[in-house]
Amino acid sequence: MRIKEGYKLCKVRDSSIVVAVGDAVMDFNGIVTLNATGELIWSMLEQEKSEDEIIAAIMEKYEVAEAVAKTDYSEFVGQLKGAGFIE
Amino acid sequence: MSMYNIAGLNVSIEPVYGQLRSRCSKYLADDQSKKPQIRIAVTKERIRGFSEKTAELSAEDCEYILAGADFYSGLVHFNGMMLHASAVALDGRAYLFSAPCGTGKSTHTGLWQQYFGADRAIIINDDKPAIRLIDGHALVFGTPFSGKHDISVNAAYELGGICFLHRAEKNEIYEMPEKRAIYALLNQTLRPVDLDRMSMVLKTIDAVLGLTKVYSMGCNISQDAVRLSYETMKKGLTPQ
Repeated sequence: MRIKEGYKLCKVRDSSIVVAVGDAVMDFNGIVTLNATGELIWSMLEQEKSEDEIIAAIMEKYEVAEAVAKTDYSEFVGQLKGAGFIE
Repeated sequence: MSMYNIAGLNVSIEPVYGQLRSRCSKYLADDQSKKPQIRIAVTKERIRGFSEKTAELSAEDCEYILAGADFYSGLVHFNGMMLHASAVALDGRAYLFSAPCGTGKSTHTGLWQQYFGADRAIIINDDKPAIRLIDGHALVFGTPFSGKHDISVNAAYELGGICFLHRAEKNEIYEMPEKRAIYALLNQTLRPVDLDRMSMVLKTIDAVLGLTKVYSMGCNISQDAVRLSYETMKKGLTPQ
């Protein structure tokens, strides 16, 4: 699973946003705003980390149980899939 | 080819038609020998290509629109961005009212002129002012590219505030949360397609948001609307 070409995570002030550039602009001309967990998951997906690595990172950063981290991960990835940002 | 000074930049333009030439005339540079920072070259082929897509526009309208697009596209490289807004200056500060076409940006700034007098409230640019960051200040410049009506002044004012308008029966205004402000600003500028230039625009937005407040206002056509936008934005001014 990886983020499609053309979707970029950017930081503006305190906000983490995703914008489309290049050909992806044809499909998406809005912005996605991410919360801190979303930013963590997105940036790890960008680095092509595995699901297990990302879940471990969420558990460590937020000191949450594995079940909670798994839910966070699958909800967020589900949203990204629904929006067509990952393939 | 002539050299113009627009938004503090040396811009070379070679107007073919009268409209572009006359609208640019007050921006003609004193020193014609400077090296251009932005080159605008609207060829007849481009005008022809564009006018085929937009049958209702004359060739001189097309030239004017394309020259504006080239200028704002170049502006991105100089810590700048266009905002689709009517910009009014009052007491040394620029207040930008942005909205989609047909909402009533110009109507609102027109009401400012009625309320404060046209000698005190000056329309900097009625449609597409340029914002540039210079020495830690956000400055708003008039440009020759001001939409349907040729309403602009060749001057710069410190940005006082940005307000996104929508029509409403009752006047109300609030400061926009940061993420919504970023989205609104990106929606009313020339959004670059490539990552490099997109990053430049986001850097400009980042700095603008650090220097000024962004509001959302529902407004009707009244002097109450003017009082509300002015008083709210004045209170929110950051020290110069």
